[in-house]
Amino acid sequence: MTVAATVRARFTGQSLGNLGPVPVSALLRFGAAIAVAMLAFAAIILADGTNPLETLRLMWDASVGTDFGRTEVLVKVIPFGLCALAVAIPARVGLINVGGEGQFYIGAWAAAGAVLYSGAPGWALIPVAFVAGAIGGGAWAGIVALLRVKGKVNEAISSLLLNFVAIQFVNYFVYGPWKDPDGPNWPFSPKFPDAAMLPMVYGDRLSLAILFVAVGLVALFLILRYTRVGYEARVVGGNPLAAERAGIPVGRYLLWALIIGGAVAGIAGMAEVTGIQGRLRPGISVNYGYIGFLAAWLGGHRPLGIVLACLLFGAISVGGDSLQIGLDLPGSTVNILMALILFAVLAGRKNRTKVGA
Amino acid sequence: MNFITAVSTGAVRAGTSVMYASLGEVVAERAGIINLGVEGCMLAGACAGYIATAETGSPYIGIVAAFAAGGLLATIHAFLVVTRGANQLASGLALMFLGLGLTAFFGRPYVKVQITPLKDYAIPGLADLPYVGPVLFEHDVLTYSVFPLAALLWWFVFRSRWGVMLRAVGESTESAFAAGLHPARIQYAAVAFGGALAGLGGAQISLAYTATWVENLTQGRGFIAVALVIFAMWNPLRAMAGALLFGGAVALQLQLQARGVGVSPFLLDMTPYLLTIVVLLVWAQRGRDAFPAGLNKVFRGTG
Amino acid sequence: MGNILPKRGRWLLLFAAIFAIGLFAAACGDDDNSSSSKAAGSDKKVTIGFLYVGAVDDGGYNQAAYQGQKAVEKLPNVKVIKAENVPESAEAERVMEQMIQQGATIIFPTSFGHLDPAIKVGAKYPNVIFLHQGGLKTASNVGTYFGASWEANYLAGIAAGKVTKTNKLGYVVAFPISQTLLNINAFQLGAKSVNPAVTTTVVFTANWCDPAKISESVKNLKDQGVDVLNQHQDCPGAGIQAAEKAGIFSVGYHVDDSKLAPNGWLTAATWDWTKLFVDLVNQVRAGTYKVSQIRQSMADGVVKLAPFGKAVPKDVQDQITATQAKILAGTLQIFAGPIKDQSGKERIKAGEKQPEVTSLEQMDYLVEGVVGKIPQ
Repeated sequence: MTVAATVRARFTGQSLGNLGPVPVSALLRFGAAIAVAMLAFAAIILADGTNPLETLRLMWDASVGTDFGRTEVLVKVIPFGLCALAVAIPARVGLINVGGEGQFYIGAWAAAGAVLYSGAPGWALIPVAFVAGAIGGGAWAGIVALLRVKGKVNEAISSLLLNFVAIQFVNYFVYGPWKDPDGPNWPFSPKFPDAAMLPMVYGDRLSLAILFVAVGLVALFLILRYTRVGYEARVVGGNPLAAERAGIPVGRYLLWALIIGGAVAGIAGMAEVTGIQGRLRPGISVNYGYIGFLAAWLGGHRPLGIVLACLLFGAISVGGDSLQIGLDLPGSTVNILMALILFAVLAGRKNRTKVGA
Repeated sequence: MNFITAVSTGAVRAGTSVMYASLGEVVAERAGIINLGVEGCMLAGACAGYIATAETGSPYIGIVAAFAAGGLLATIHAFLVVTRGANQLASGLALMFLGLGLTAFFGRPYVKVQITPLKDYAIPGLADLPYVGPVLFEHDVLTYSVFPLAALLWWFVFRSRWGVMLRAVGESTESAFAAGLHPARIQYAAVAFGGALAGLGGAQISLAYTATWVENLTQGRGFIAVALVIFAMWNPLRAMAGALLFGGAVALQLQLQARGVGVSPFLLDMTPYLLTIVVLLVWAQRGRDAFPAGLNKVFRGTG
Repeated sequence: MGNILPKRGRWLLLFAAIFAIGLFAAACGDDDNSSSSKAAGSDKKVTIGFLYVGAVDDGGYNQAAYQGQKAVEKLPNVKVIKAENVPESAEAERVMEQMIQQGATIIFPTSFGHLDPAIKVGAKYPNVIFLHQGGLKTASNVGTYFGASWEANYLAGIAAGKVTKTNKLGYVVAFPISQTLLNINAFQLGAKSVNPAVTTTVVFTANWCDPAKISESVKNLKDQGVDVLNQHQDCPGAGIQAAEKAGIFSVGYHVDDSKLAPNGWLTAATWDWTKLFVDLVNQVRAGTYKVSQIRQSMADGVVKLAPFGKAVPKDVQDQITATQAKILAGTLQIFAGPIKDQSGKERIKAGEKQPEVTSLEQMDYLVEGVVGKIPQ
């Protein structure tokens, strides 16, 4: 369809081929749902005796209103976006990857190992770390893929379980073999050499990795739409039996979609340790894998949707600090807003055959 | 106290909260609904129970409040999934974040408050039995209750008429409806009940085990419970065993540490999850048979 | 071209529109909030930021530091902002930067793991002074301070050594940093000085405050025959309650938690940061502060022994008070040689005086009589 026809169809509610009707009322309905979420959040804040308008204003200021805030939102978009990609890529072939968290940690671990122990020359540290991160995350997801393809173990379950294994795996290393011998017996790895740190593109916390996100999203878009691989992947995701009958090697697509997804999450881990942390330590991910899952879902597993969802979550997340500092509210309060928005969207979309209807 | 008794006692102590949550989630998943937000329900129960106890002075009122809070939170999930047809994984994760945020927010003023906690009761006579005594007979009321609860739920799921209805709904809501049941009502009840039990699990931590409240008190036990449900293949008694295994790993780790044995606590912490994967692999066929078919909707990848 | 926005994404369009409008408005408006970080003279309003790894009413470490913050708040022309539950990772960097954005020129990162983030942020803002609690290294604008809590723990050890009936003491700690090891060792040495048969069993929880883990550790220790509990945790309350419930004696840390253990309370090493914090702030404002590693002791009043519980007999109380006087006078040195580690090797030779604090803070071993290994 031409662009003009698409736009016309969108606004007149005509069907867009196999994608269903798109009424304008849906847009309004969703907007209302978001407003409801904001109101509910405001009510909760008010119940505690705090001024909700002040709360929202502080959050807005902190995340959007200052240069620093806007940069920090983009800093959050790096792990959110890459972890969302890690979910979106397997989702296109019909797989559910809840393991972004674990693939992130293993990618970070592998990148740290490469930086600290590979003996690569200074100029090569970043590429080596990048590859290591991708391999680490990809291998971790590969376990999930193998379990699914060979062992028929559901990938959502196994990837979720492996998250916790990965976290303990990294803990083991930073408390043990990789603990900084020059440090005060504190659980972190030695500091990465400066040559291993990602260059910054703005300020001193927004690293090159933001470009990884952009490249990843654009690549996803182009591959899915314009290549045969993308087409076949979409067929596998839509109707695996038909795909098989058409001769598409379904098993291989499942395997590689998970591995690539895991690799992207692994790169997110690499970006975190070489862009922000500067060491391997416990707690490098603050639920990035799960937020990435939610962002991917919210964005319909599509590039533009993912970007917008990540920006939204990033802004909410950064806004949380200001609640702490300015209003003496726990930073975790912003989780309420994030959850309410998700609920609003989840509730607003009526798309299943109702049980017992 | 010898090593085995110490580990077993620790297993019971540490495993109780997770046991409540897994038992609850078994019921929910038997109805075909998976709730990744069990962590949120546990926190809600822990926090609400603590606040209620602090305000009223009675930990028993706290238990009731915890049950209600966990159930209410889970009802949100039930509404979204059953009535609005939402993606269960997304809804569950959102619920977890809601629980984290709400409890941090409302629990904030209570961090410094002391409560009268649930007392440990030693059953006279039985508690003095060598070896078995302290393991089984010197606990708080919530810990005592969870074992008969597990047995009761086993009977409920596998031997009672309501259990048949529950499992029918979990296998196929369409067939259940055709057979004259009300799948939606049953699913709501199952999910809410699951959340309520998770709330009790949380209460056990805040009202008995630690007698404190801090942000994120449960530290991921809700997720362990979800894993254990799969490990248990949706059987309440096996879930009980799994929770004891988890508690045992915690206790073992501490005992070994104190005896100077250098086993990494992190490797030990991995075991519940690795065991679950092994179980899934090895008992693949039996697992698939036990798998409530209704859960297939969740894992089909189109949600 | 087809659909590039999913159905679900329609609302995101709305949000994106709002976001974009906000960005535009902000960019056009006055958004330069990066306040100049001039070192303020003592007559201009100065903003001071405090970071805590936990809650300020955790009944322990953070609460003790918060008392210091409250003393600072009383100073003239001072605005204080704080952030709690700040993780010991790069997240802390963002929080510190936000405080600086709001005009903070003095920052107190109070938890051990906040040091690295402080140094990183400090490099970017050379005019902001960071006063880190407990750190073992400095930077050009990052200084540290701490107190010799182990002196009080030695005295607590005397109480423990005297009241124990099983000769087994227990210590539930978080991380094996030198401050923790010093506390454990001093406790054991103090107990041993009055009871040669005594041992101290150590359990590491790898978390500054996980009440469930602490409770489990305490009960575990009790099951092994321990009857006196000490802790190096941010929130000792849970452990003290567990000890009381288990019927064993307890020694607190950071604050006086005697209310929690009416029967078993012995004493505690407590902090009084008020004077030091106020001094530091005044020095920075007057421009006389020089970056250093300030280490104060019981003699300076930064470490105090909490009041005794009824479980400590009068004669033991007197003995402790007398010993305390010796420490204050300098006639008793806790870590004077010979000090042997767990393997029997002499770490501080016989006849050697107690090393300087900077040297003590290199301690990476446990003394003999301590049961349990430093996790590797």
